[in-house]
Amino acid sequence: MSTREILSLQFGHYSNFVGAHFWNTQELSFDYTGTVKTEINHDILYREGQTLNSEVTYTPRLLLADVKGALKTLPESGGLPDESEFEQSNIQWEAVEKIEEPTPHKNKYLKDIDSEHPLDVEAKEYNFEDNVQTWTDFLYPRLHSRSVNIVKEYQQGSDKESFDIYNSGKSVWKSDFGDNFSDNIRKYVEECDSMQGFQVNFDCIDGFAGLALGCIEHLADEYTKPILVYPIIPSYFPDTNPSNQSERDTSNLKDSTRLVNMALSIQEMSDHASLFVPMCTGEKGWRKPGNPRLFEHLNYNPQLYYHSSAILAAAIDTLGQKYRLKSNIYTLSDLCADMTGYGRKMAAASLRIPFAMNESQYLIEHLNETTKPIYTSITPSCKIATDKIFQLVTVRGVPESHLKAPLKEAKEQMNIPAYRCNNVKEMFELYFQANNFLSATNVTVCEKPLELKTPFPKIFSNNLNKYGFVDNNNQSKRVETCPVIAGHHNGNFLADMIEKLHRDVSRIKFAKLHKFREEGLEAAEFSESLDKLSEFKDNYEDDFEL
Amino acid sequence: MAAISLLNPKAEFARAAQALAVNISAAKGIQDVMRTNLGPKGTMKMLVSGAGDIKITKDGNVLLHEMQIQHPTASLIARASTAQDDATGDGTTSTVLLIGELLKQADIYISEGLHPRILTEGFDVAKNKAMEVLESIKIPVDVKRENLLDVARTSLKTKVHPSLADLLTDACVDAVLAVRTPGKPADLHMVELMEMQHKTATETTLIKGIVMDHGARHPDMPKRVENAYILTCNVSLEYEKTEVNSGFFYKSAEDREKLIAAEREFIDQRVKKIIALKKKLCDGTDKNFVVINQKGIDPLSLDAFAKEGIVGLRRAKRRNMERLALACGGIAMNTVDDLSEECLGYAGLVYEHVLGEEKYTFVENCKNPQSVTILIKGPNKHTLLQIKDAVRDGLRAINNAIEDKCVIPGAGAFELKANMELLKYKDTVKGKARLGIQAYAEALLVIPKTLAVNSGYDAQDTIVKLQEESRLSPDPIGLDLSTGEAIKPMDLGIIDNYIVKKQILNSCSVIASNLLLVDEIMRAGMSSLKG
Repeated sequence: MSTREILSLQFGHYSNFVGAHFWNTQELSFDYTGTVKTEINHDILYREGQTLNSEVTYTPRLLLADVKGALKTLPESGGLPDESEFEQSNIQWEAVEKIEEPTPHKNKYLKDIDSEHPLDVEAKEYNFEDNVQTWTDFLYPRLHSRSVNIVKEYQQGSDKESFDIYNSGKSVWKSDFGDNFSDNIRKYVEECDSMQGFQVNFDCIDGFAGLALGCIEHLADEYTKPILVYPIIPSYFPDTNPSNQSERDTSNLKDSTRLVNMALSIQEMSDHASLFVPMCTGEKGWRKPGNPRLFEHLNYNPQLYYHSSAILAAAIDTLGQKYRLKSNIYTLSDLCADMTGYGRKMAAASLRIPFAMNESQYLIEHLNETTKPIYTSITPSCKIATDKIFQLVTVRGVPESHLKAPLKEAKEQMNIPAYRCNNVKEMFELYFQANNFLSATNVTVCEKPLELKTPFPKIFSNNLNKYGFVDNNNQSKRVETCPVIAGHHNGNFLADMIEKLHRDVSRIKFAKLHKFREEGLEAAEFSESLDKLSEFKDNYEDDFEL
Repeated sequence: MAAISLLNPKAEFARAAQALAVNISAAKGIQDVMRTNLGPKGTMKMLVSGAGDIKITKDGNVLLHEMQIQHPTASLIARASTAQDDATGDGTTSTVLLIGELLKQADIYISEGLHPRILTEGFDVAKNKAMEVLESIKIPVDVKRENLLDVARTSLKTKVHPSLADLLTDACVDAVLAVRTPGKPADLHMVELMEMQHKTATETTLIKGIVMDHGARHPDMPKRVENAYILTCNVSLEYEKTEVNSGFFYKSAEDREKLIAAEREFIDQRVKKIIALKKKLCDGTDKNFVVINQKGIDPLSLDAFAKEGIVGLRRAKRRNMERLALACGGIAMNTVDDLSEECLGYAGLVYEHVLGEEKYTFVENCKNPQSVTILIKGPNKHTLLQIKDAVRDGLRAINNAIEDKCVIPGAGAFELKANMELLKYKDTVKGKARLGIQAYAEALLVIPKTLAVNSGYDAQDTIVKLQEESRLSPDPIGLDLSTGEAIKPMDLGIIDNYIVKKQILNSCSVIASNLLLVDEIMRAGMSSLKG
């Protein structure tokens, strides 16, 4: 079986936070001893390369975009050791005036992973909550020299040149930046023998939305490969909690801007992407991210990107297991085909982290006793219906030994119909069959739980043991792995979300959005986009039976 | 109190003299930064980012892009300079210097009570006169290699080290001459710039053909073929799964295999057609066959090609398809249905070069290449980047000269001449407008002055010497940077673009006038719109 490569693309600051956690999870789960059987084919996301000194490298097949000033300690060349140190002797310049930016301070974690003899970072305590300012502050992998692409026209955290308009993103794509970026895409694709497709994560609330859509359109034009897109909304904005009137006005205007960016990108994705799944750890996502989604046994601070992005990274990692398994021939194009019947290109995602059973409990009892849905929606303003849905659910890290009691001790378990199930997969299938009326469910089971190695945030409650099971007299301090459930869901319940989005965007007076007009968005274009969005909603409305 | 503060108490504003002071100090500030870069003897600037990324440059445009310019006036000037680069590819540093100097000269008169409006009127008259001078000293040239070499060398020497500049000059001129068809403007896109991190900058060469940044992806394909037919096509030669098979309903693996086999057959047909053509044309001769495809070629198809000794390259750059057709002849095919010999291009030599993980494919010895590649070599990234910027400007300079059909003497000759003419002209103008002309004339001298200072000479000494000399000589006089003496630039082949100077005169006068006429700067409400 050939590799079925995937090229990952990340656009935007928050998406890079999510990406940093995602790649940390991948790279920290590598096994260098060769003794552990891996379920995942890492070659799908990674590529083997060679530096000019013939050292072998193994780097993510990744392209990311961020604005100037977001990288801090990470050099644009990706951080692989550069063989050609600056050789002054080589070039005879008469006079060189040297202008240096101050070197940003590397935090303890980065120093430790850089040091020659890696210390045991697991044993150490790093105060990431206070120290992390940008995603490179906790990035473990080193990247290939083409991976990092910087939008030079805009600066991180600058008032004057903030990159917050959809159409400015589009113009950046049309500039040299887009040329270089698409050339880098081409170089990655050229290396692949049988690529499955592209996975794109992007911030859908600022200029990166336009940039990403420019790129997605290019991908759709140039390559006949499926494009799976996760538009992401950050969990918090600096202006989310205004305290006085003028801040409230600013916040309002910014919310409107973000909402318009979101609507425009969702509308365009419905044209060019193969499947897209909006994600946010806030309940509402737009106007304000809203209350944080609650996960049992999880205490996270939505104001910290470092926390909330880890949750989304866990979701994306789990959702992606299905097409990255070694044992499976399922691919991205299957996923897109399965989820997008009737032109319903937008799907919802759900997550349960941790899927915490009682340590002494069997899965059969847990599923029997639970009354709440076993997953939480992480798609903003969207309640996943229980009936008439298509869903692809991935369960990881639920050990077969916890399935059901052996025959001798089974007692009343025998009376539950699920007792005849022989493995975790069958039991979950039965569970979904019983709970979701008129639905099609496909369950994927992975043995390996999610590994929570440093720098994954320590956001789990104290009553979890090392393996993420509930244990009230728990001794161990930290959770090392935990079972996770995540799913893609599609059905006519998504019509409500698009309806709400459409309604909220329609309320915005276009005339008030000077900046969009400055960047070349016409009023007619805007209203056409809204109409198309509403047409897109119709795909979800017909009362098709399954 | 300004009217705006009645309406919006939070507005920030600066009025009259204060506003002017803001503009002038910004212009001076940005001028100070750029001043040291002007001319072949100007210093390089090495920019080191916090994370250790290095950039070395003396190109004004590159510098302005790298600096985060916060001051609104300064960023206005920077934008004018960028526009200069977009239009002509050169003269960015001069633009910044001249705007700064115009404001500086104006400041002297304004502080003595002259109204800015009078000055700007003088500027306008002076600009028109300067244009006349420019017209009078321009020298028509033919499109000949020797003439173009001088133009390119003058431009390149201000960007890179002289020894490298000489090398690049030849490469640039030959490149433009190759892609140009007489009577039509040259399409500079047909000169491919390919970077190779390898050896030293002085190995940069012109390849009369195409260099691609990828190679054959099959171990058995030949690494070097001579006398080759080139098939450029945009046809998918890889099996792509259609999206009809669903994971919900799809269970049996055999069914799936069958479907795959059927679809695979479709691709195989295409591959066979290409192989058939190859057999027809090459078998029994010493000719070879190369397929360059814009779409993918999967391992099975590669395998089939390799067995026949065909070199197959996949995922070629879109623009390279056009370039290949121009370099080798032939047509880029969108289908394999009616292939014939006429569709194919020809190259005398196709070979692969491997550097670490990067592969390069050279397509050379073409019959009549109308598209060429400048292969830029350098030991590290920033050298490559610097040469690339320089080569781009060099190509633009040559192209400008071809389109203008004329050049003007360089080394500050135009500025000296214009200064002299303007001072004469001043006496014929009545009223205070002559003060504007005076200021304009003085401002123009900033170019030769800065050139002198950057080469280590005293500005006043040099200017006096040169002015004396140019009063005596009918020919334009410029500054010899290596001796500090007066020379005739045309004799030494120091030549500037006509369009560049023209553009500088126009944009600088307009922007300087606009900035002078500003009497109130307000910042109000923008934070809520922008922020």
